Amino acid sequence: MHPSRPAPQPFETGPGSSTNPPRRPALWIDLMVVGLLIGLIQTLLILAREWSAPLRPVADIHLETRYLPLYTLFSFARGMMAYVVSFCFTLVYGYAMAKSERAERVMLPVLDILQSIPVLGFLPGLVLTLVRLFPRSNLGLEMASVLMIFTGQVWNMVFSFYASVKSVSPDLTAVARIAKLTRWQTFLRLELSCATPGLLWNSMLSMAGGWFFLTVSESFVLGEHDYRLPGLGSYMAVAIERGDGSAQALGLIAMALMIIALDQLVWRPLVSWSQKFTTEESHPNTDSWLWNHVRRARLTRGFALATAAFAKRFKRPSRPARAATPSRSAGWRWAPTVVAGAIGLAAMAGAFAYFQMIQGLTTSDWSALMSGTGLTFARILAAVAIATLWTVPVGVAIGQRPSLATKLQPWIQMAASFPAPMIFPVALGLVLGAGGTLSGAAVVMLLLSTQWYLLFNIIAGARAIPRELVEASRIARLSRWQRWRRLVMPAIFPQLLTGWITAMGGAWNASIVAEYVKFKGQTLSTHGLGALISQSTERGQFAQLAAAVGFMAAVVVGFNRLVWRPLSHWAQTRFAASA
Amino acid sequence: MTQPLISLRNITHRFSSAGRTLEVFRDVNLDIQENEVIAILGPSGCGKSTLLRVIIGLETPASGEILYRGERQIGLNPSASLVFQNFALFPWLTINENVELGLANLPWTDAQRQDRLRKTIDAVGLEGFEEAYPKELSGGMKQRVGLARALAVEPELLCMDEPFSALDVLTGETLRNETIDLYVAKDSPVNTILMVTHSITEAVFMATRIVVMQANPGGIRSVLENPLPYPRDEHHPEFKRMSEQLHGMITQTLIPDAAEAHHQLPRQTQHLPQSIPNVSMGRTIGLLEILENEGAMEVFDLSRLVDMGLSELLLVVKAAEMLGWVNTPGQRVEMTAEGRQFLGLNVNERKRRLNALLREIFVFATVLRMLGGSDHGEVDEETVLTQFALHFPHEKPHTLLRTIVAWARYAELFRYSSSRRMILAIKT
Repeated sequence: MHPSRPAPQPFETGPGSSTNPPRRPALWIDLMVVGLLIGLIQTLLILAREWSAPLRPVADIHLETRYLPLYTLFSFARGMMAYVVSFCFTLVYGYAMAKSERAERVMLPVLDILQSIPVLGFLPGLVLTLVRLFPRSNLGLEMASVLMIFTGQVWNMVFSFYASVKSVSPDLTAVARIAKLTRWQTFLRLELSCATPGLLWNSMLSMAGGWFFLTVSESFVLGEHDYRLPGLGSYMAVAIERGDGSAQALGLIAMALMIIALDQLVWRPLVSWSQKFTTEESHPNTDSWLWNHVRRARLTRGFALATAAFAKRFKRPSRPARAATPSRSAGWRWAPTVVAGAIGLAAMAGAFAYFQMIQGLTTSDWSALMSGTGLTFARILAAVAIATLWTVPVGVAIGQRPSLATKLQPWIQMAASFPAPMIFPVALGLVLGAGGTLSGAAVVMLLLSTQWYLLFNIIAGARAIPRELVEASRIARLSRWQRWRRLVMPAIFPQLLTGWITAMGGAWNASIVAEYVKFKGQTLSTHGLGALISQSTERGQFAQLAAAVGFMAAVVVGFNRLVWRPLSHWAQTRFAASA
Repeated sequence: MTQPLISLRNITHRFSSAGRTLEVFRDVNLDIQENEVIAILGPSGCGKSTLLRVIIGLETPASGEILYRGERQIGLNPSASLVFQNFALFPWLTINENVELGLANLPWTDAQRQDRLRKTIDAVGLEGFEEAYPKELSGGMKQRVGLARALAVEPELLCMDEPFSALDVLTGETLRNETIDLYVAKDSPVNTILMVTHSITEAVFMATRIVVMQANPGGIRSVLENPLPYPRDEHHPEFKRMSEQLHGMITQTLIPDAAEAHHQLPRQTQHLPQSIPNVSMGRTIGLLEILENEGAMEVFDLSRLVDMGLSELLLVVKAAEMLGWVNTPGQRVEMTAEGRQFLGLNVNERKRRLNALLREIFVFATVLRMLGGSDHGEVDEETVLTQFALHFPHEKPHTLLRTIVAWARYAELFRYSSSRRMILAIKT
């Protein structure tokens, strides 16, 4: 697993109540499928109308409740489209990286840097290019917004897919070769299948990552231009700016409903379905009411049969695959190298342009960057420290009670995938009301956005503590303190570390929205790297923006390389559970 | 003789990892005729599984050539299939889909495909399991699926890589019998079988020809014809005779000096570059405890008594012999006076004695010399590994180091820090 953005595994839930669903085919499910199809067509029509409408940089955002469903639908569509792009990107990039060592050497570091660049770093380039490409319609702006959401989603998916493809069992690869499966068949049957559970879990995290910057991705100021797209994110942004409490509350509810709907209608059924791709023989409780019904609905069965028949038509002309046709495979062997070369060249060109851009910065600009980085770093450390202080005892307490963990899991998942910037105004209001400053409130915001990663990982770690060790420490009559020092802390340390890595990576990004806020008609800002990035975007100072983004990427990558990687390696050798 | 199905000509294979090259075997020559069952038998580390993979074409040999029906084989053999030790089933495919995997790209109609699928499932006794997933099956049933998948394509050569060793004894027995039944049956889909095994009984039970391999350097030691008619009976005198003959051969491959062991070699010759077998000191002393009453035993009886595979047991015997605790005339293991004396010592006396013994053995003497020449009595693991790779090009240096460290810790000869990857001298 890549150390910088490891994919935490879902903590296993207790033995499932895999009660057999009754055999009666459900009529209502058929009706629902029909209804969904009609709804889908209707949605596509609305979206098409909106996207092909003439360019309207600042959409009027109405805070009336009746607009909210439509806005939510727009944001949902953007999120889903971004996810589709992320998925395709993941398959192509991850596969090329895993399959060719030469490509890997270039593509892995590039990916590592890209994932540490905050969303605002991509914003000017995307928006200016796409709006210029489609000067008359909304399409360019919409695409820019989708791509910004994409940059919040994609990276951990790529890492997960890459790691899965790399760890495919050599025996199964041998089977595929002996069976003379084509490259495409091997990809579907073997590599993609193997990667499915990890990819799915990371997809859930990715969706949350995409929502995190929804407010930024849908409404932003760039130089003298003010851009705003109709959507839930811009609705919230406007509500916060105007200090409209009831609109904010409604926006939060809409967001929560969207997350719950996604969880129940998309992720749970998918996780349930993906059970067959897991190799373990355990049966975790991943029951999905929807999947149980869909699985036995007549319509879905008919649909499955129809697609199978359709697919067969294309399967037919399978030529007798002789032992590897050399000409074709030779051509393919070079493909990843060519891709990697192109990426390498692009990276070099980008670096050149970058250094030209930041040449004009003054000494005071640089010193502001330095001090800002230091301040933001201090806030992040404070937030992570506070998060650690509360999540370790709570996480261990939950982790050691499996039934409690099972009960709490959906709630924690929900809280973790809720975009913290949307709750931030509430926290900000409280902190300011209590006489605090934005600097202090920023720490609260960072805490809100990072603590869940820690809690997740600690619960998983605590659940994995071997029962025998707990019993042995009880028999040895270790005191509470001794038990923590000798058993609990070493046992959860690797997971704690994973939590820290993910939390800190996320915190740097979150500082952008934490240190610079439009709140009740005024702009609040406190010195820090995040604030510098927000400010320079808004003022259209691209040299400063580039330098600040570069600083952040360098700090994140540098920290990963110099601190986290050696530390994880050490933890792995020192605390790995197997003797 | 007719043209062989497959001929191996001077096949040599090497692995390289982390800059070191390891020669697995050298100059292997073998003809595989149609309608044979060949068993490749040998101790672990002799490269028998690798040889199998080279024959199928999963691995490309470093040098030499493979002829398939007289023509040079490049890449995968067009008509060989493989049964894996750990089944290698796709967990997300049903049994039917797993078996169908090899049929997907044959130029057949759907009807032919379905027909073949049904016949194969029937032949291995998997009816009723078609829609199940591998995780729902027991080990024996899983291996039936592995067998069905390999048989479905009606391979000219069926390769099996220790196919029964992951199964319990009874299940293995059943599957062995059924495989032979398939081979013997007139209308069966398989005529030629090449299997890798470490069990002498299994080889004698199934094979028409047995190839005995040796390790360090790997290669074919001898080939034995097995004309016994099927079905074979383990209690038949001929069966027993052949098993014992093979025991003798394997013993020879592992303890080459077995025959002349009476003529005790002078101590100095032990300083010739000689590696140590990968066994624990606890087991080696355990062997002495077992021998204490009888004083001497046949290797074969000993293997049954301690319920240990012959090649594994022979490594323990070899270790004990290196320490001067046993002699091995022929196939007997005899305890020496030193061995008996060692047993009489208490724990701390044993450590001291062992400490003195190990100092005489080449690999330990080498490490001690390196420690003596170092500044602070510390030697980097890498340095030692490089040294070993130089002396023992056929052995995995990391495995050797692990064994050496384990023995040295037992004897308090030197220390090892796994976090620093350093070997440390013990100050006296």
